[in-house]
Amino acid sequence: AVAVGYVRYRRGGPGRGLELRALRRARRQDIDDVGHKYYLELELGDVLDKDRTVNCTAEVLYHLGHKNTAPEVQFSVEGELRSTEEADEEFYNRIRSLEKELVAENIPDSHGNIPQELEPIHLLAWVASGYLIWQNSTENTHFHLAQIKHVKQVKRSDEDLQFDYVVLLHEMVSQEVIPWEVAVLWHPRRGLRVSRDRRQPGHTPG
Amino acid sequence: HQVLRIKTKNEEEVKQLQLLESLEHLELDFWISPSAPALPVDVRIPAVRVQSVKAFLESHGIEYSILIEDLQAVLDKEKQDMAESAQRQRSSSFDFGAYHTLDDINNELDHLASEYSFVEKIQIGQSYEKRPLYVLKFSTGGTNRPGIWLDAGIHSREWVTQASALWIANKIASDYGTDASITSLLDKMDLFLLPVSNPDGFVYTHTWNRMWRKTRSKIPGSVCVGVDPNRNWDAGFGGPGASNNPCSDSYHGPSANSEVEVKSVVDFIKNHGNIKAFLTLHSYSQLLMYPYGYKCTRPADYAELESLGRAAASAIQSLYGTTFQVGTICNTIYQASGGSIDWSYDNGIKYSFAFELRDTGRYGFLLPASQIIPAAQETWLGLKKIMEHVRDKPY
Repeated sequence: AVAVGYVRYRRGGPGRGLELRALRRARRQDIDDVGHKYYLELELGDVLDKDRTVNCTAEVLYHLGHKNTAPEVQFSVEGELRSTEEADEEFYNRIRSLEKELVAENIPDSHGNIPQELEPIHLLAWVASGYLIWQNSTENTHFHLAQIKHVKQVKRSDEDLQFDYVVLLHEMVSQEVIPWEVAVLWHPRRGLRVSRDRRQPGHTPG
Repeated sequence: HQVLRIKTKNEEEVKQLQLLESLEHLELDFWISPSAPALPVDVRIPAVRVQSVKAFLESHGIEYSILIEDLQAVLDKEKQDMAESAQRQRSSSFDFGAYHTLDDINNELDHLASEYSFVEKIQIGQSYEKRPLYVLKFSTGGTNRPGIWLDAGIHSREWVTQASALWIANKIASDYGTDASITSLLDKMDLFLLPVSNPDGFVYTHTWNRMWRKTRSKIPGSVCVGVDPNRNWDAGFGGPGASNNPCSDSYHGPSANSEVEVKSVVDFIKNHGNIKAFLTLHSYSQLLMYPYGYKCTRPADYAELESLGRAAASAIQSLYGTTFQVGTICNTIYQASGGSIDWSYDNGIKYSFAFELRDTGRYGFLLPASQIIPAAQETWLGLKKIMEHVRDKPY
């Protein structure tokens, strides 16, 4: 999941949602005094392009004892993914021309619905969650994006789009659903950058 | 157009009306023809003739009353009524491809029980907040036949499971008698289906927090609420893979079976005494698992369960290509203590399986409603494979 999250962060966008189609091979190497290194062969695909898969090799190194640092990931992708240039430009222009800043919540809603025009917002959150998953995973966690609780566009004077999200991350091992604030900058040519993030303080006991 | 009811007093008047009836150019439509003085005569009169017919009757002293003042209005209303009724008929048919509230689900259980003689709704207990725990019993006869247990929704946020359970219930009920496999299955065994194992949690996911997993019981000494009902069973209780922190989503509870939702099922199964398979539905991840979760060693029946699991996964895949991974809980997902199928297995129920349904994380718990029926259809093929094996391999 860490590898996929990282690749999604580096290669995903509002027009491309990368998911794991298959795990071909995995092997772990214990390196004395360093940590655990995983060698992975993955098949990835774009959720918007069902018929195409690309092969990906990745190496994930979890440093011993460095619980607060993100694992190191290196990857290479073989093959080409569908181009999103047109879709990206169209999304960019649409948002730039909005009179009022975009605000939305509960994506998907309780019934799994996502309005068509919010799909890129959802995919962007998915890309950002790739970053969060990479930064916050250990060998004993398994994160997924559960839902966008809230998203607010912040208009900027420069050319970037900014979206401030509150997302819910579902951690499989503990089964916790954790709210996380993440501010995302995106530009069709510059891609996505996470400008700040933090686990939302406070706790819902029920 | 009006419809008049004419009361004839004697033969003479009857003859007058028969004369009237013979005048075809009047286009009178006798709903009850004149025959004998004692019998009323009903006649529909076209609008343009109404005045002249009434004048005729009055001039001959023949009594009449207006049965229907405006026939068109009556016809229009009837058409409207029928359309509304048809609409109600269509919508009172349960939409299995949508997510429903607890009340709607319970109504559908009543509907299934009333529509099929071999389906009965029984209550096996009540939840912490006193909601009834309803089980559908499918039984075509016999006394205490060997039974199969199937539950869904023990974790309330896993909405595709309650929804699939309803579809499956309807599928089994409607296919009995036509599908050879289901028919032979229910002719030999009983099926017990609990579609909403955790009704308090389920209501909470509708009203407050869609991501709620646990029960809603108050924990003494904590501000946090609820116990993970799939860590609360008496199987390696309190061991690794469950939390002792009441605020955790995998909190195992103060003691095994502390949750009434769990205890009710335990009691039911023990009292029945003849349950041969224990199957439970969860989401998400697309996995088909058998014991153990509380320890990472293989169960005694490993070979048979692995092989049956693979056959079931293969059946699932045959429909839409959905792949399920097969294995023990510990190997496939994680070590988790206090789980239901570990308890059932250690209590002599050999065929104990836990399913994790669609998807693998894209929508997770928020699976679009359009996927409910495909998920239910493919899951059913896997369940059927297992049930057929249980039927054919009595123990």
